[in-house]
Amino acid sequence: MNNNAIFELPKQNYSGLIKTVTLGKGDKAVSVGGGNSYPFHYFEGNSCHRARIAMEIYDAPPDDWPAAALEPFADVVSDPLAWARKCVTDYEAELICLQLTGTDPNGANTSAEQAASTVNRVANGIDVPLIVWGTANHEKDTEVLRLVCETCHDKKLIVGPVEEGDYKKIAATALGYGHTIIASSSIDINLAKQLNILLANLGVPDSQLVLDPTVSSIGYGIEYCYSVIERIRMAALTQQDEKLAAPIIVNIARETWKSKEAGMSVNDDPKLGNAAKRGIMLEAISAWILLMAGGDIAIMRHPEAISLVRGMICDLS
Amino acid sequence: MSNSKKKYSVVFMPDCVETSAEEGSNLLETAIASGVHINAGCGGAGTCGTCNILIKTGKVVGQKTANVSDADYQDGLRQACSSRVMSDLVVEVPAASRLEAAVLKRETPDSASAAMLLSGWNYSPPIEKRFIRMSPPTMQDNTSDLSRLLRCLDNSQTESIVEADFSVTKKLATTARQDNWHVSATLLKLAGHTRLINIEPSDTRTTNYAFVFDIGTTAVRGQLLDLNRGQISAQAIGYNKQIRFGADVIARINQCSQPGGLAKLQTAAVDTINELLHQMLSSSGVAHSSINHIVVAANTVMVHMLLALDPKYLRMSPYVPTISSPPLVRARSLGIDTEEHVRLFCMPSVASYVGGDIVSGILGSGVYQRPSLTLYIDIGTNGEIVLGNNEWLVTAAASAGPTFEGGGIRCGMLAINGAIEDLRLDDASAEPSVKVIGDGQPLGICGSGIINLTASLLKNGLITQAGRFNMEKSSARLRYGENGAEYVLTYAADSGTGKDITFNETDMDNLIRSKAALYAGYHTLILSVGKHMSDIDHVVIAGTFGNRLNIENAITIGLLPDLPRHKFTFIGNGSLLGARLIAFSTEVQRQSSVVASMMTNLELSENADFMSSYTAAMFLPHTDAALFPSVTTGDTA
Repeated sequence: MNNNAIFELPKQNYSGLIKTVTLGKGDKAVSVGGGNSYPFHYFEGNSCHRARIAMEIYDAPPDDWPAAALEPFADVVSDPLAWARKCVTDYEAELICLQLTGTDPNGANTSAEQAASTVNRVANGIDVPLIVWGTANHEKDTEVLRLVCETCHDKKLIVGPVEEGDYKKIAATALGYGHTIIASSSIDINLAKQLNILLANLGVPDSQLVLDPTVSSIGYGIEYCYSVIERIRMAALTQQDEKLAAPIIVNIARETWKSKEAGMSVNDDPKLGNAAKRGIMLEAISAWILLMAGGDIAIMRHPEAISLVRGMICDLS
Repeated sequence: MSNSKKKYSVVFMPDCVETSAEEGSNLLETAIASGVHINAGCGGAGTCGTCNILIKTGKVVGQKTANVSDADYQDGLRQACSSRVMSDLVVEVPAASRLEAAVLKRETPDSASAAMLLSGWNYSPPIEKRFIRMSPPTMQDNTSDLSRLLRCLDNSQTESIVEADFSVTKKLATTARQDNWHVSATLLKLAGHTRLINIEPSDTRTTNYAFVFDIGTTAVRGQLLDLNRGQISAQAIGYNKQIRFGADVIARINQCSQPGGLAKLQTAAVDTINELLHQMLSSSGVAHSSINHIVVAANTVMVHMLLALDPKYLRMSPYVPTISSPPLVRARSLGIDTEEHVRLFCMPSVASYVGGDIVSGILGSGVYQRPSLTLYIDIGTNGEIVLGNNEWLVTAAASAGPTFEGGGIRCGMLAINGAIEDLRLDDASAEPSVKVIGDGQPLGICGSGIINLTASLLKNGLITQAGRFNMEKSSARLRYGENGAEYVLTYAADSGTGKDITFNETDMDNLIRSKAALYAGYHTLILSVGKHMSDIDHVVIAGTFGNRLNIENAITIGLLPDLPRHKFTFIGNGSLLGARLIAFSTEVQRQSSVVASMMTNLELSENADFMSSYTAAMFLPHTDAALFPSVTTGDTA
């Protein structure tokens, strides 16, 4: 027995590398990915670029948000640019995600022109990278996102969701104007990879591709999302699967805040405790879980939830 | 009888069969009752669109289904299963709804090399005829007729005890005296003992025949074997008459739950066998009385139905068959038209969805004898797979669906006359040149055609690896049709149906699902025993279209693994191959239960890896390109 024996952590051998993708342009451009180990496994390798949080704003004032979610932005929800600026100025947002829910054909169905003009206004009014998220309606997204790409041709946007059903036209246009593409597939490692292959066949370079594996909130199957993201990361890092080595984006805030539990008042069920705190925790913990699984960019909403997750990223980095 | 319904005359063309039907009778049932065959893949549920008929004169009522286009409906096209007789009718059964059994005969006979796959067996049929000269009884030797006969048999064969069927004794007294105590005894050799099953006057040793049948879900194939020569004297093929009750085994199992359903399916199977049996007797000139044995290889569901065993529990978890090694039964007791003494041997099965047809294929191909690792794939509706060698065998059923037999494809059809079985696309123009079975005008496309088409479209970049059409490619053949994006194989002017023959994205989805199920099946099976694709020494492919399968194209679309091409062997109909050997050798018959007991069945529906592997395989050729290094697709910018 050797008393000098030092306990050594078992270490994973990695053979792959996550691709680095630079979002936006200029001084405020943000790079993600580049890591050669599982997230936060600093004892094994390095994550290269730390996980980032994008703050979400909407093209139309939300009408179904719980009070706690609305409260910090009540003064700006009817002006996307003011909202974006508040995120950057007051909450030090490093990226903005403009969710174009107003274009949903089953909702307000605002026109592609209107959407493009909104995006352009926001893009011109902020200096951090701008993510533009459509409605996942293939026809409408094709129309909207193509026009957005064209109108904001010099803005190096990040546009999505680009799915198997609409990738050709959107990706071709985005590529033409130098934007980055969010490849979105429904929660399956194979589907994610298949779409990345199709995009590569179309000529999309790794440097302009991030991956959205589809996510859900705590209580709504987040363990399944965790498992899929984890498997994607394992494939990229330990099986050198280049087609799965893109940085991962998780659009999580909208999932947590639309859950029944986030919307219930304390009177609905006293056991659930303070409603505002509950919503914030649901968002923060959901986002954190997905970053632990391998997410590189989390799209978040509430400043307090964001602050919690930022703190945790700092603590672990 | 005041409430009796009005009766109408219904004439089915082109066969001119006239029948009468009550007002409101279902047209498909009327056709079946009058012996007119109309394809009905879904068993009359109205979903498959294969029972199309044309109302020439008269009136029917019924719902217009999604399978009939508006224009066709105007022209009088209806689905027989959802039409009711409302007046005197003249009904045309179009070619595409009829069966043309003749063309199935095109199947190449099993090659000599294939028959040699099983090695080390001796020719010793379980049926033996022996000529006996008994000494006539006297006052001194007054033992009974039967004892006298058995004494002679025991004299000539000491290794086993002979027992006599009671039916032999019934005719013994007369038969023995007919030719001065000279008789021919037919012996059935079983494990450990021998049974006297028939007796005939005089020496009839020169005529000793057996039948073997492969009862497939879609087609039934039979061979008449000359047991004295070890030769095939005749063969025949026909559609399984159960098709009218549903194209797949599940639909037919469901039919059995209906009152009288099992009896109908049992009769349909027996009718099919009897028809083929008489065809073979008349084409060979062999006498009905010369048949002494029948061997059947079939999937478990078909065996249950043939033996009139309720198949209900086969499709319910934990998927247990009533019987896996059926005892010998008298063929006549099932309704098969043979003499009373003829026994029917069913190849033992492994599990509900791994039947005697697969055991037969493994037996016949000798997979279980060799130390090298063999992957055996039966490309058919049930998609059975076996992996193993002389020490172990694992098996699974991948349920590929009817795509490879033209099912679930808008212009799909069986590999019969009029089916496009092969094609090439011009590299530059993407114009197709097609090869049609029977060389007439094409009526549709069959499994091999579908595989070749998909591979060609992929190589030419006309489809993406996800199976979507690249509409931006300039080809006059790509267009948006009634069912979305499609490729036109044959324009109406050149087709035998007067309509365009097309292949659309839904068809492509079905093909991708079918090939993915097979690939995922054998992939999962290989990994589950700790092996890799590269460990496979041989790939044996069996099935109805094995001989017409283009290996290169099958690999291009990811149906078959990307292995060196010399590893692939076709054996055609593996089921019949094994059945024949059993009729030729008692030893091989004994081996059949050994083979069945060597097989461990893996239930894929319970396997989590299978689903993941299945999604990974739903891409052309596969999500993991490293598994198909020799395949390059045209789907790039």
